[in-house]
This record gives sequence, structure tokens and C-alpha cells, in this order.
Amino acid sequence: MATSSSRPYQGKLRYGAPNHEGRIWLFMRLTGLVMFITVVFHLLYMHMAVGVENITFDNIDARWSGPAGVFWRLFDASLLFIGMAHGMNGVRFSINDYVHNKILNFLLTAAVYGLGLFLILLGTVAIVLGVGGLGNLFQRLMG
Amino acid sequence: MAALVASIYRGISYRGAEGQWAWILHRASGLGIVLFLYMHIVSIFIAAIGPGPYAWVHATLYTSPPAKVLEVFLLFGVLYHAFNGMRIIIIDFFPALGRYQRTIVRIELALVVIVLVPAAIITLRGIF
Ligand code: HEM
Ligand code: HEM
Repeated sequence: MATSSSRPYQGKLRYGAPNHEGRIWLFMRLTGLVMFITVVFHLLYMHMAVGVENITFDNIDARWSGPAGVFWRLFDASLLFIGMAHGMNGVRFSINDYVHNKILNFLLTAAVYGLGLFLILLGTVAIVLGVGGLGNLFQRLMG
Repeated sequence: MAALVASIYRGISYRGAEGQWAWILHRASGLGIVLFLYMHIVSIFIAAIGPGPYAWVHATLYTSPPAKVLEVFLLFGVLYHAFNGMRIIIIDFFPALGRYQRTIVRIELALVVIVLVPAAIITLRGIF
């Protein structure tokens, strides 16, 4: 439990300058507050308003098109960045709680962050190029 | 690994404290959502490749009967993690509310069930 910040608030942030784990503690709470609105909305919207069986290629394309598409892409980008940052840091809490071997701890943390950054890259490519965008780009490059 | 087993064992054998269960579930749901999110990002990336590959993703990962069952776990995991996370945040910032911990946990679980039941019914409707 030494490095996990899942302990209750002990007034560290209110008095004196916040240290690194204190900032992370606050970061987990601020991102949690934001996602309480955005992620729950995303999940219920896809289930109740759209219906998962209706989420076809064309359906996503329609949501991501036109002026409203800019809003949805920014919204999805916020899910991507905030969710991955919160989630990767949460995984780090678990690694620190269970893996006490320093080298193994470092390797696992590096692997989780490496995979996380790679997935953030994939997600960003999808949002910027749009559905089918990568395929079209390849076709154009191949002539 | 041994520490993980010990921690799970402690969670199971430590009777009488909702807090311990709430914490174990918060951790398990958080890690579960991370795994889903990995898959989810890859699935939207596949949509960026083209309609053919995405049709396969949609049929396999989102609308097949096993996927529907896993989706109910996802719904529970996200709703529990979100409401329990809000409880943690609220009590952290207003420590005086700690005295009403048990009541607050019950309200939280009631809210999870109220949102989960209709969403789960909509999700499972198609496969029965
Ligand atoms: C929906 C709104 C959410 C809220 C209100 C929320 C809130 C929280 C809070 C308060 C913590 C405890 C942080 C600490 O111990 O200092 C936490 C931990 C965590 N969260 Fe979230 N979270 C949310 C969404 C997510 C999502 C979408 C993911 C996955 C991508 C996630 C993954 C995790 C993980 C893995 C942990 C670490 C658990 C542990 O160490 O026991 N959370 N969350
Ligand atoms: C089964 C439940 C879910 C369904 C059906 C679903 C559906 C979708 C769809 C169709 C998109 C494409 C964008 C759009 O059409 O607006 C998307 C994007 C996204 N969703 Fe979900 N979603 C679900 C749950 C979640 C959860 C729990 C998270 C947790 C954080 C999440 C995070 C994201 C992210 C980060 C993106 C952007 C992906 C990218 O950049 O490539 N989704 N989702």
C-alpha cells in the first residue's frame, strides 16, 4: 500500500505546496469528476439513444460529419485522453501495490505506459482521419 | 502475484466492512474498464481502415450474444466505478460526511441498480 494514493484525504493538499503524489491524487479526482458526466453520458447515449446494434460504419460516419461532427470528435478525443490518462495511472497504482521488485515494477510500468501511448496514437489517428479515412489515405498513396 | 492473492484473500475473508468490498470492486472495475478501453480504441481504429473490417468488428465485438453478456458486466463496472468514485471524491472533500458512510454506500448502490436495470434489459433484449 505504500505508494497507492487510495487512502482517504489527509489534508496534504490544502496545507502547503502539493507534492507529486498529491497532484496525482487531485488529478484522479478531477478526471473522475469530468468522466462522471462524459463517460456515463457516452455509455448511456450509445445504449439508450442510438442502440448498439445500430452503430454501423455509416452511423459513426454520420455522427462525425458536418459542424456537429466537430463537437463529437472533440468529445470523443476528451474521452480518449482523459480516460486513458486516468486509467493508466490507475493501473500504476495496482502495479505499485502488488509488484515490489524494483526492476519488474519498472518494466511493467514502462510496458503499460508504452501500450497506452500507442493506443492514444491509434485513437487520435481515427478521430482526425474519420471512419474510412485511413483506408482512403492508403489508397491515394498507393495511386 | 502472491501479494495479489493475499489482497484478494483479505478482501474475501475480512468480514463486516463494506469499505473493503467497495475498494476491491472499485479496483476490479477500474482495471476491467481499462481492458475494455484498449479493445474499444482498436475497434474504432479498425473503423478508420474501412467499412468491411468494421462490419466484422460490429458483428463480433458488439452484437454477438457473448458480447451482449459481457456488455452487461461493462455496464455494471462503469456505473459502479463512476458512482463509487463520486462517493470517494465527495467524502474526500467533505470528510464530515464520513459519519454517514454506510447510508451513502446504500444510496450509491441503489443509484447503480436504478440506472443498470433498464440499460441491461435494453442490452439483453435482442438475444432472448
Ligand atoms: C466514470 C467516472 C469515473 C470516476 C468518478 C472515477 C473515479 C475514480 C477515483 C476517485 C479513483 C481513486 C483514485 C485514488 O485512489 O486516488 C479511481 C481509480 C481508478 N480508476 Fe476511475 N473513475 C472513473 C472512470 C474510470 C474509467 C473510465 C477508467 C478506465 C479507463 C477508470 C480506471 C480506474 C482505475 C484502474 C483506478 C485505480 C483503482 C485502484 O487503484 O484501486 N476509472 N477512479
Ligand atoms: C458498449 C459500450 C460502448 C459503445 C457501444 C461505444 C460506442 C462508441 C462509438 C460508436 C464510438 C465512435 C465515435 C462515435 O460514434 O461517436 C466510440 C468512441 C469512443 N469511446 Fe465508446 N462506447 C462504449 C463504451 C465506452 C466506454 C465505457 C468508454 C470508456 C472511457 C468509451 C470510450 C470511448 C473513446 C475513448 C472513444 C474514441 C475512440 C477513438 O479515438 O478511436 N466508450 N464509442
